[in-house]
Amino acid sequence: MFNLLLNENMKIFRRTRSWLLIIGMIVVTFVTLLVVDNLTTGTQGSSDWRVNVQKQIEADQAQMENPNYPAHMMEGLHQQIALNQYRLAHDVPPTDRTMWGYLLTAAKLMMVATIFTVVASADSVAGEFSGGTIKLLLIRPYYRWQILLAKYASAVLFSLLLLLVTAVTAFICSGMLAGFQDMSIPYLYLTSNGAIQETNMVQHVVSTYGYQGVQMLMIVTMAFMISTVFRSSAVAIALSIGLMFIGTTVAPFITSYRWAKYVLFENIDLTGYLVGAPPIEGMTLSFSIAVLAVYYTIFLVSTLLVFQRRDIAN
Amino acid sequence: MTPILQMNQVTKRIKNKTLVDGLTLSVQPGEVFGLLGPNGAGKTTAIRMMVGLMKMSEGDVLIEGASIATNFREAIVKVGAIVENPEMYKYLSGYRNLVHFARMMPDVSEERIREVVKLVGLEHRIHDKVRTYSLGMRQRLGVAQALLHRPRLLILDEPTNGLDPAGIRELRDYLRKLAREEGIAVVVSSHLLAEVQLMCDRVAIIQHGKLIDVQSVHAFLESRHLTQVEIEVDNIMSAVRLLEPADVVTDPESRTLKLQLEHEQIPATIDRLVRGAVRVYGVTKQTRTLEDKFLEITGGESVV
Repeated sequence: MFNLLLNENMKIFRRTRSWLLIIGMIVVTFVTLLVVDNLTTGTQGSSDWRVNVQKQIEADQAQMENPNYPAHMMEGLHQQIALNQYRLAHDVPPTDRTMWGYLLTAAKLMMVATIFTVVASADSVAGEFSGGTIKLLLIRPYYRWQILLAKYASAVLFSLLLLLVTAVTAFICSGMLAGFQDMSIPYLYLTSNGAIQETNMVQHVVSTYGYQGVQMLMIVTMAFMISTVFRSSAVAIALSIGLMFIGTTVAPFITSYRWAKYVLFENIDLTGYLVGAPPIEGMTLSFSIAVLAVYYTIFLVSTLLVFQRRDIAN
Repeated sequence: MTPILQMNQVTKRIKNKTLVDGLTLSVQPGEVFGLLGPNGAGKTTAIRMMVGLMKMSEGDVLIEGASIATNFREAIVKVGAIVENPEMYKYLSGYRNLVHFARMMPDVSEERIREVVKLVGLEHRIHDKVRTYSLGMRQRLGVAQALLHRPRLLILDEPTNGLDPAGIRELRDYLRKLAREEGIAVVVSSHLLAEVQLMCDRVAIIQHGKLIDVQSVHAFLESRHLTQVEIEVDNIMSAVRLLEPADVVTDPESRTLKLQLEHEQIPATIDRLVRGAVRVYGVTKQTRTLEDKFLEITGGESVV
């Protein structure tokens, strides 16, 4: 089995494309953080954060008096004011422009890393079919499921690598922009029942990346299944990235249906649980993990079954 | 002697279509065996079942006694094969491709990889990307890949595709040498009669998924000039006496006799009957030689 894994990794890392994806990820992370930094520079006014927060509170309160302000955004304003008042009362500075704030922003780039991994892993099985090499690969003293599992493992390893590349790049870049400091500042958030919570910032950032990794794993597993079933990397890339975007876009609009909580895309983003905001009221972290586990098993088992039984006929 | 390859009633059905129908044959150690048939006759499907890429609907394939269906790993480890085109990883070098497949087989040393590379004459280009190889070079790399683990059965599907005449001769000599010296069995498929004649000891002719005939190339070459002739006469007994010592098959009911003749012997034979006062009502040439059979099957055009 170890030799199979060596082979699959050789096929990934002796390809220029894989290195372009890794370098691309580094560039995207760097550029994004630089742009974010550039956009927020000069907006903070005073060097004392208390003055800025006080100003923000006053501006928000003025906004609330405005009769033309859309009603559905009132709630957001209200929360922002509450958070800022808490900051002043408990001496908790804002984290947006600290290294950890930047790291949190960069965590959203995991979507890009996911797309990159899908591009690499969708070709893993489909490429063997379109290149005809599948015929030489399967006439070896291994069971088909062993070969497939080695491919899947190497795809997961590659996604893990991209996750690490993103995190490390973001860490270095954020540190360079904001200094490697401010670790003791807690992260503040409002739970759904309106209470303000403090949490350890480092732990929050690490958990966010971890939960993003779960989302990545689900998408990659789905892409792997589509790649095996359709034997076409183009279909696998288009379908899984398409589903990812449609799924995450539609998810917030179907929450009122009773079956919604069983939908993959309602559960796939676990980061909501970190700030006490489940996708649908009443859902819990363990419920979402259970749902994801079921989907994961279905994806993997159907991939194995299809691959095991297929006649290699072209 | 136990055969290296034994196919028993191998059948492949997809929906209502029967692609391969009750194929039974065996290949002995040291033998180069040809599968001859027009394109679409089921040769490739048969080969895919031999190596377990396709599942059999019925029957079994045994490789030195191990079933490819129920004992896949033990059976396949004795097989080296190219199925259809020799497709390798184009983005890897030839050498990396061989390393890849060597890792999947037991006991293939780096030494062995070098040996095989030398054998197929790719030393100078082995570290280039396969993308830059000609079809002939890919074919050689395919053969190298199939030989790495010293298989007992070598299966080559249309191996001369893309080879020039010198390359074909080289491959032929090499296959014969392998079979003779190492006692391995080689199965070669082709739609070209001339090619199979040159390479193989025995040939199976396949059409519409069925085995038409298995014959040794030697006997086949001898028989190719003989034609079966059917002659209708009034008196069979005196005709047989006149034609002695020829091997004649008689059918008293239709008063015909059948015998194998070279084309040029036909007029003299009839002459002898007529002079012997036997009345000849008809002479029919029958196309029953293997070559004629093959020509019938292929429509003639693919025979070089």
